[in-house]
Amino acid sequence: MKARILVVDDDEALAEMIGIVLRNDGFEPFFCADGAQALAAFRSAKPDLVLLDLMLPGVDGIEVCRQIRAESDVPIVMLTAKADTSDVVRGLESGADDYVPKPFKPAELVARVRARLRPGDQKAPETLAIADVTIDVAGHVVRRAGQKISLTPLEFDLLVALARKPWQVFTRELLLEQVWGYRHAADTRLVNVHVQRLRSKIEQDPEAPEVVLTVRGVGYKAGQ
Amino acid sequence: MTNVQNHRAHDEAVPGAPVGGILRGTAADGRDAVRGDRNAVPGDREAVPDPDISGPGSAPGTGAVAPDGPGAVVRTLAVVRRIPGWLRLAWTAVLPVLRPVGRWLDRRRLSVRRRWRTSLQFRTVLVTLLIAFIALVGVGAYLSSQIANGLFQERLQQAKQESSRGITQVQESFDNAQLSDVPAASTYVRDTLKLLEVGGADDTRKYLMVLVPGQSNSLFVATVSSGGITPAIIPDGLRKAVQENSGQYWQSMSLSAGSSEEHPAVAIGSNVNLLGTNYELYLIYDLNNAQSTLNYIQSVLWLGGGILLLLIGGIALYVTRNVVLPISQAAAVSEKLAAGELQERMVVKGEDEVARLATSFNRMANSLQEQITQLAMLSHMQQRFVSDVSHELRTPLTTVRMAAEVLFDARAAFDPVNKRSAELLYHQVERFQALLSDLLEISRFDAGAAVLDAEPGDIYAVIHNVLEGAQPLAEQCGSTLTVIDSTEEYGSVVDMDPRRIDRILRNLVVNALEHGDGLAVELYLASDADTIAVAVRDHGIGMSASDVARVFDRFWRADPARARTTGGSGLGLSIATEDTRLHGGWLEAWGKPAAGSCFRLTLPRRSGVVLDRSPVGLPPGDDDDATGNLHLTGPAVTAAQSESTVTGAISVQGKAVL
Repeated sequence: MKARILVVDDDEALAEMIGIVLRNDGFEPFFCADGAQALAAFRSAKPDLVLLDLMLPGVDGIEVCRQIRAESDVPIVMLTAKADTSDVVRGLESGADDYVPKPFKPAELVARVRARLRPGDQKAPETLAIADVTIDVAGHVVRRAGQKISLTPLEFDLLVALARKPWQVFTRELLLEQVWGYRHAADTRLVNVHVQRLRSKIEQDPEAPEVVLTVRGVGYKAGQ
Repeated sequence: MTNVQNHRAHDEAVPGAPVGGILRGTAADGRDAVRGDRNAVPGDREAVPDPDISGPGSAPGTGAVAPDGPGAVVRTLAVVRRIPGWLRLAWTAVLPVLRPVGRWLDRRRLSVRRRWRTSLQFRTVLVTLLIAFIALVGVGAYLSSQIANGLFQERLQQAKQESSRGITQVQESFDNAQLSDVPAASTYVRDTLKLLEVGGADDTRKYLMVLVPGQSNSLFVATVSSGGITPAIIPDGLRKAVQENSGQYWQSMSLSAGSSEEHPAVAIGSNVNLLGTNYELYLIYDLNNAQSTLNYIQSVLWLGGGILLLLIGGIALYVTRNVVLPISQAAAVSEKLAAGELQERMVVKGEDEVARLATSFNRMANSLQEQITQLAMLSHMQQRFVSDVSHELRTPLTTVRMAAEVLFDARAAFDPVNKRSAELLYHQVERFQALLSDLLEISRFDAGAAVLDAEPGDIYAVIHNVLEGAQPLAEQCGSTLTVIDSTEEYGSVVDMDPRRIDRILRNLVVNALEHGDGLAVELYLASDADTIAVAVRDHGIGMSASDVARVFDRFWRADPARARTTGGSGLGLSIATEDTRLHGGWLEAWGKPAAGSCFRLTLPRRSGVVLDRSPVGLPPGDDDDATGNLHLTGPAVTAAQSESTVTGAISVQGKAVL
C-alpha cells in the first residue's frame, strides 16, 4: 500500500512539483494550500506523514503543526525557507519531527520522508528502564511511576536508543544517524530540540534532568 | 596671641648707645609682637644689652613657669586654649548649614583621597577654605600685631613722659634735701616717692628705689618701694643698665597681681643721687588695661575670621555647586545615553550658560537618537528584506531545482540538444543556488542578524566530517588530505557553533585542494589551555603579497583566468571571516608564490576569551618556505615570521561591519 502524504503548501507550483516527485517515488500525495483548512484536510486524508510549509496564509505552519500534534502522532516534516535558528527551533518545538530547508533536492526530500516513514522494526518484547521511567518497547508504552506518558514515535525512538545502551554517551551525530536515520545530516539542533521536548515530558524537573543527561562537549546519555 | 609686654627696646641699653635713652626700636617691637604668639613674657625681662639673654630662643615656653612673669602668659594661654572651644562652638553652629555637604559626603562614602580625585566641588571648596584660612591668619596676625604695637607704644610714651617728669622731680627734691641721719633720709625718701604713686595718669603706677651696690657711704637709704615690689622682680638686664649708666631705661616685665594673676608691665628705671649716693629708681606701670583691650580685640578678630572663613566656604560651596551640578547632571545623562537610553535628556532651566549647555546637549542627543534610530531601522529593514527575499526566492528556486533534477534524471531519454540543455539547467541552478545562499548569508552578517549558537564540542569531529566531505574533491584533484594532530595534552573541545566551524573549515579545505596543484594538503591541529587552532596548508601555486592582502575581500579571486573546478561564489572567505569574528577568533592567511599558502583559524576555547596567541605557527611546523606573505589579524607567533613580509594587518575581529 502506498504511503499517504499530505502536502500543506500555499505555493501551487512547488506543491505540484513535490507531488510529481513523491508520485515518482511511489507515494500518494494530497494537497492543501491554506493553513485554516489544513486540519480538516488532515482529518479527511488520514495521511501517514505531513509535509508542512512554515509560512502559510490563514493559520501559520507552527499553529497547524500544534493542532495536528494535539490529535495525532503522525510524523510531521516542515518545509522552511527560513534557515534561521529561531524559526527552525520554533517549528521543532511546536511538534515537528524534522525539517527540510528550502531549496532542497528531490532526493533529499524523499530521503527525509522515507526516514520518517520507516516501518518500526518488529520489536521483540523488551522492557527498558532509565531512572524511574520504564519503557515497553514492543507495546510502545512509556510509564513513570505507573503513570503512562504519551510520546511521539520519534521521541520514543530517541528514548529507546539512549536506554538500550545506558553505558554509552551518544553524540548528536550518532543520534541523528540512529534515530533519524541520516548519514550526513548536518543539523544537530534537531537533536537538541527533541531532547528538550522529551525532557519536558518525562523529567520531573526538566531543568535538572535525571533521565536524559547532558554530557558537556560530547552529547547525551541515559541516567542511571 | 600677642602680649603688650613683649615689647621692649633692645638697643637702648646697648653699651655706647646714646645716654638718656631716647626710645627707639619699634621695628624690633613689631617683630617681637608677632613672635609673642607663643612666648609670652619671659624673654622680655632680659635686659637687652646681653645678647645671650635677648635671643628669641630664650623666650618660648618658659614664661608659663617663670615665677616672676606668668601673668600675661597665663592669660595668653587661656585665650589660645579657648580657640578650639570657639571652633567647636562655631562648628556646632554651622553644622546644620554644612549638613547637606555631610550628607553628600556620606552618600559617596568614599575616602577623602578618592573624593579629592573625583569631586571637583570637594576639591574647590577645600582649596578655597585653605587659601582663605591662610589669608585670614596672615591678616589677623598682622592686624593683631599692629594693634598690640600701637597700644603698647601709646602706653609706653605716656609712661616715659610721666617717669621722666617724676624722676626729675624726685631728683630735684633729693638735690635740695638737707639730711643727716638715716631715719630722716628714709622718711624723706618715702615721702618723696609716695608722690610718684599718685602722680601718674594711671593709678597702677608703682615705684622701687634701691641702692646701687658697691658704694660705701654710711648715709644710705634702704630699699623703698610700693607694696609688693621687690628688687627681684626687676629684670637683671635693666638693673645692670641703670646701675652702670645714667639716663632712662625701660623694659617689659610681668607683675604678679594676686595669687595667680600676672599682669604685663613696663619698668622704667633711672639713676638718682641722694646725698652723694647712687640709687636705682624704677617706676613700674601695670599694662593690664591695655592687655585686656588687646585680648578683646583679638578675640573679636578670631571670631570674625572664623565666621568669614565659614562664609567663604559656604560661598565656594554654593558657587561650585551651581556650576558643578549641571556638569554632573550632563555627565549622568551622557552616561545613560552611552548605555543606550537614548530618550534621556537634560533639564533646561532659565537662559544662562548652563541652560545653553543643556539645550545644545539635548540637541546633540536628539540628533544622535535620530541617527541611531534611523540606523537601527535600516538594519531592521535590511534584515526583513533579507528574510523576505530569502523566502520569496527560495520557494520558486526549490521548484526550479526539483524540476531541473527531474529533467536531469530523465536526460537519458532526451535527444542530444535537450539532454545538454537539461544538464546545463541542472548545473547552473546548483550554482545559482550556492551563490544565492552565500549572498543571503553575507547580508545576514551585514544586517547584524547573525548570532552565535556556541556550545562545547570536539573540533576534531567537525574536521573529520569536513575531510569526509572533501574526499571526493581530493581524489578528483589527486591530492592527499593529512591531519597532523597535536592536541593530546589539552584536547580538542572548544566552544563553537559546529555549523559555522564546519563551513569555515570546508571552505579552507576546498580552497586548498583547488589551489593545491594536486599536491598534498595538510591540516595542522593544535591546542593549548586557552586556544585551539587549525591551519590548512597547501603546496600549490601560493599567493603574492597583493593576493594575501586581498584574499578576504568579497568576490575576489586569486586568478580570474584560472579554471575553477568547483565554482565558488567568491564569498567563501568573507563568510568564513564573519563566522570567525562571531566566535571571537582569528582567520589569517600566509602565502608565497609557487610555495603554497596556509590559512590558520584560531579560536578561544571558551567564549568571550580574548586571543593573544595561536598554538600553530603560520605556516606551521618546520617549514622550508617559512618566509612569505602574511595577512595577520593577531600577534605574530613563530620566530620564522619575524623575517616575513607582513603585507597586511587588517583586523578581522572587533571590526563591526554594518
